[in-house]
Amino acid sequence: MSGPDRSVDDLLRELAPRVLGRLARRYGQLDACEDATQEALLAALTRWPADGTPDRPEAWLYTVAHRSLVDHWRSDRARRQREERAADPGDARLLEAAVEERSPDADDTLVLVFLCCHPALAPTAQVALTLRAVGGLTTREIAAAFLVPEATMAKRITRAKQQIAQSGAGFELPAADDVVDRVRAVLSVLYLIFNEGYTATSGPDLHRVDLSSEAIRLARLLRRLLPADGEVAGLLALMLLTDARRPARTDPDGALVPLEDQDRSLWDSSAIREGLALVSDTLGRFPVGPYQLQAAIAALHDEAPTADATDWPQILALYDTLERIAPSPMVTLSRAVAMANVHGPTAGLALLGTLDDGDLASRSHRLDAVRAHLLERAGDVGAARDAYLRSARATASLPEQRYLQLKASRLPRRS
Amino acid sequence: MKYMIMMFGGVGASLEGRSPEWISGMHALLVGLDAQLRESGELVDSQKLIDPTEAKTVRFVDAKAVPTDGPFAEVKESLAGYWIIEASEERALEVAARCVDYIGFPMEVRQIMDQPPST
Repeated sequence: MSGPDRSVDDLLRELAPRVLGRLARRYGQLDACEDATQEALLAALTRWPADGTPDRPEAWLYTVAHRSLVDHWRSDRARRQREERAADPGDARLLEAAVEERSPDADDTLVLVFLCCHPALAPTAQVALTLRAVGGLTTREIAAAFLVPEATMAKRITRAKQQIAQSGAGFELPAADDVVDRVRAVLSVLYLIFNEGYTATSGPDLHRVDLSSEAIRLARLLRRLLPADGEVAGLLALMLLTDARRPARTDPDGALVPLEDQDRSLWDSSAIREGLALVSDTLGRFPVGPYQLQAAIAALHDEAPTADATDWPQILALYDTLERIAPSPMVTLSRAVAMANVHGPTAGLALLGTLDDGDLASRSHRLDAVRAHLLERAGDVGAARDAYLRSARATASLPEQRYLQLKASRLPRRS
Repeated sequence: MKYMIMMFGGVGASLEGRSPEWISGMHALLVGLDAQLRESGELVDSQKLIDPTEAKTVRFVDAKAVPTDGPFAEVKESLAGYWIIEASEERALEVAARCVDYIGFPMEVRQIMDQPPST
């Protein structure tokens, strides 16, 4: 069997959340509506390449999904009736009549996104449900992407849907004063998906869905739904500008290549153009937020023709702002790198020292990794070697561990 | 038949006194073997564990379970990672031998027991 037609596949993935959103708004039962939508997608996947794509693909899908939902209820009912030996012809006809649907409501997809990122769910559940219901991925694809057994992922998704049902959340837009928080939750789910794809060891496994591309696709969708939210645009820009460097991030042997050593001619220039346009279009027009600032920083890196040409003073200024509006140890860590590039490694190390007693020192290898780099630049190679090794022991990323091991082995031992 | 091929030790021990070229060579060997086993359809699973110094051990102390810092065995005897392959014992030993020839540390090969499929 040849692979599915790329254009049909793309179209289906785009229409899936709209169809599911419409069904769920009418009937509320996310679980049943989702199964019905998946059946419609499957039918389209087998019929469209042979018969041709219908003139109104969304209506086609909705009709098939709706019929499947009604069939499901009928057989459910029939079973119950057989079991209860009772007969009551009634609402099946009403359901049939509902096939004639009103014009689709663009908000349905947005409501669906909010529902999948419901605060009652754990982040892993939000991610799985969003990829399944909004992304239109199969459970098998999601399981493969996260390297867990399919049965585990199926359980996770089922439980997430039950939790939403139990929370009593209806299929409606959140109240106005909740919207900002709910959008933030959606953005962090998308960023989680993106980072999972970006940091994963990229095996030669063809069946692994590319999570970074999927996160970018979902962020584009969200931007269409919320064009006036600067942070949505900021996150999309940040993803594009970061993902653009992916071809240069690993060498042919799979080893990590740090930003300053990357071959910049390998960067994806069209992604960079799109990201830069988003940044310049957004900054100043909307209230500034963390994603916009991080995108602006990524833009400065991407615009530099060489590592030496990087506008570090500007980057440092942006990190200063980021630390004011969204302080965190990770931001301080990045600010220390910028500080070292503007004022020298000793200034950077002094700033790192402020993190030693904090949370980051005990739960992240990054503090030691950054410290090792700065110590090496300051000429204290023995201490740098020790810090590289400490970081190599603590990291949970295999490519990072290999990179840090190599860095340590290039330095002489402390005598 | 399925076999688990186990590697032991931590970041420090296997690295001590090695040149950057040797370390790159080891990474290339492991990545290459992994790809080869995947390609041939023999690979069932392969995982690398975080360094044993990061491990916690739950021990029975004063009649209750208490988590403590550090690995169960000595660092150099702690599991570092494994391959599970579906192949003959001879093949599993051959895969292990290719690593041991380069790395110098011992590796263990054990058959995985049969069990009825879970429902």
